[in-house]
Amino acid sequence: MARNFFSRFTRTRPQRASALDGQDLKKAFLAGYAWLERHKEAINALNVYPVPDGDTGKNMTLTMAAAMRAISEVDDPSASVVARAFARGALMGARGNSGSILSQILGGFSDSIADKATITPLDFANGLRQGAKSAYLCVEKPVEGTILTVSREAAEAAMESAERGAGFVQLLEDTMRAGNASVARTPDLLAKLKDAGVVDAGGQGYVTVLEGFLRYLQGAPVEQMAHAERETPTEAHRGIVEIEEEFGYEVVFLLRGENLDVGAIRSAINGMGGVSTVVAGDSQMLKVHTHTPTPGQILDYGVSLGSLLDINVENLQEQSLEYAQESARERGLTNLDLHGGAAHGGAASVNGARPASAAIGAAPAAPAAPPEPASAVEAREVGVVAVVAGDGWANIYGSYRLGGIVPGGQTMNPSTEDLLRAVEACPSDRVILLPNNSNIIMSARQVAQLTQKQVHVTPTTSMPQGIAALLAFNHQADFATNAAAMDKAIGDIATGELTQAVRDAQIDGVAVSAGDYIGLANGKLATSGRDQTEVLRDLLTRMGAGERELITLFSGQDVSSADAEAMAERVRGWFPEQEVEAQRGGQPFYVYVVSAE
Amino acid sequence: MEVSAHAIATIAAQAAIECYGVVGIASRRPRLGAVQRLAPEEYARGVEVRFVEDHVVIEVGVILEHRLRVVEVAHNIMVIVKYAVEQALGLHVVQVNVNVQALRVRE
Repeated sequence: MARNFFSRFTRTRPQRASALDGQDLKKAFLAGYAWLERHKEAINALNVYPVPDGDTGKNMTLTMAAAMRAISEVDDPSASVVARAFARGALMGARGNSGSILSQILGGFSDSIADKATITPLDFANGLRQGAKSAYLCVEKPVEGTILTVSREAAEAAMESAERGAGFVQLLEDTMRAGNASVARTPDLLAKLKDAGVVDAGGQGYVTVLEGFLRYLQGAPVEQMAHAERETPTEAHRGIVEIEEEFGYEVVFLLRGENLDVGAIRSAINGMGGVSTVVAGDSQMLKVHTHTPTPGQILDYGVSLGSLLDINVENLQEQSLEYAQESARERGLTNLDLHGGAAHGGAASVNGARPASAAIGAAPAAPAAPPEPASAVEAREVGVVAVVAGDGWANIYGSYRLGGIVPGGQTMNPSTEDLLRAVEACPSDRVILLPNNSNIIMSARQVAQLTQKQVHVTPTTSMPQGIAALLAFNHQADFATNAAAMDKAIGDIATGELTQAVRDAQIDGVAVSAGDYIGLANGKLATSGRDQTEVLRDLLTRMGAGERELITLFSGQDVSSADAEAMAERVRGWFPEQEVEAQRGGQPFYVYVVSAE
Repeated sequence: MEVSAHAIATIAAQAAIECYGVVGIASRRPRLGAVQRLAPEEYARGVEVRFVEDHVVIEVGVILEHRLRVVEVAHNIMVIVKYAVEQALGLHVVQVNVNVQALRVRE
């Protein structure tokens, strides 16, 4: 099951340089994510627009982490399948403005390679172009000098390069060059950046992801890109020594003074051995963020210029060690062990234990900087525990960083005790329970009586309904708000279930013979017949799929991926107006579970 | 210093329309049940401003792109609008309520 991401990537570079398949693409995404994660603090420190809250790097990393989780178990060889799952994961897990934009870029990329098993450099360039185009479409008034601009200009360079016949490495080099130049121009396009003496954080983040792609294509081992997430303590230690040589201590402080010169201060700190130095602010107040082996020298220099506030010096070696240990611990818990009871969500292992920087930049004293959301390492205010059956479903639910997953479903309902144990193990005191089956709602409600914790049962009767409820979950909102939003959301999705009758029966007044396929729409028998395909078609029609936008087909445990894809193709034929997705559910009993939303 | 509700509404609307995922500002009171998408010069009409003692409560009506995670976009709008108004006018904004009047679905 879900082990460390890095453990499953043994091949370090694509075998064919002229085309990437799904698994190559998966590793390229991983490399982009790892490279971003490694640089997220520096990106955080650049963040002054739209709000100087220093979280751009973190938000983009969390968005990529959600996307990575969505593909961690996708072993499909097709590039389009991997890209689609990745884009969907990014959409579901999008955080902040920059993360939302990134999710749209990935969505456009995925759409553009929709039917391709492998992609060429030209396809890749087209994908970047389509990604930028998609991203621009989601806002009425695109602001230039942001990640939007960078994605567009980088894509233009990618297209030119691909049309000249460049291979992947050349293409990415050209794209990076243009991307970096575009990032460097962002202060000329957006005055707030210029005032603060920084380039755009989101744009920098985007280029960082591309750089990860490039390093992978050049043959750099992905597992060396991240400074955390190591296989063994020995390896972790090796990683740390590397970091120590490179960075030593991270030093962050605010400097208040008169006539401060951002550029001169940056050069002076770099002259003292500062690495990845960011100095942002104005002549009276600025923020310094650097990595150095000699923090004392930098602080002395700061004191000579004015007064220091919010000084934070961290030892990256110690932190990295703790982080690696934490990751190892988290991994033990993160596995979606279908037999082992509750699992803690996997965000912590990719989120980093370090608090993000405080408000910075042009207005460090501004009252408006919002409070940092609690780190994912800490207990969340509100936890969610869901009952899930099937490996595919466990992966899908696993990507939502739940407080717990209880194995169960149609033929193996979890006991009240199982549910209670998961609720107690959930790291939050307020828990929303998703039973995902009408037979489990009662036991779930009993749990509320048995625990000291505050429990709300959102009466989901199917796993797609549970997903609809999760989509309404807002990690920043309180318990009551989430409970209400999730209850409301379950009405937004129609669920169909296709199964085979094991014996002659009378169901909801309809006679069914053994071996017949039966279709249940929202839990009620809607149709039956001898032919699986016909029953599915009728079921979808009765569910009102024709009036919806997205149809998702979740295949059961015994359905091969080829059969599932063939069925999805038929569904696309019946419902040309709708977007149709095929996902592995892996559920027992039901050949297909379908949702329409 | 007195700041008019209209000035606050104008700044709030400008901040909101630049938020990623926002594809329109809409009138808070739908006319005859239909959401009214506002032209740029009328954006302020999509924002309602209330004063609670020295504090400001802002309600903003928006049309969002449906392909994004709506709760996240709404949260971004709250943070960005609050910051923009406080930064520009030095007021304390205690609440920004985002009313999603419609979602835009494109082909």
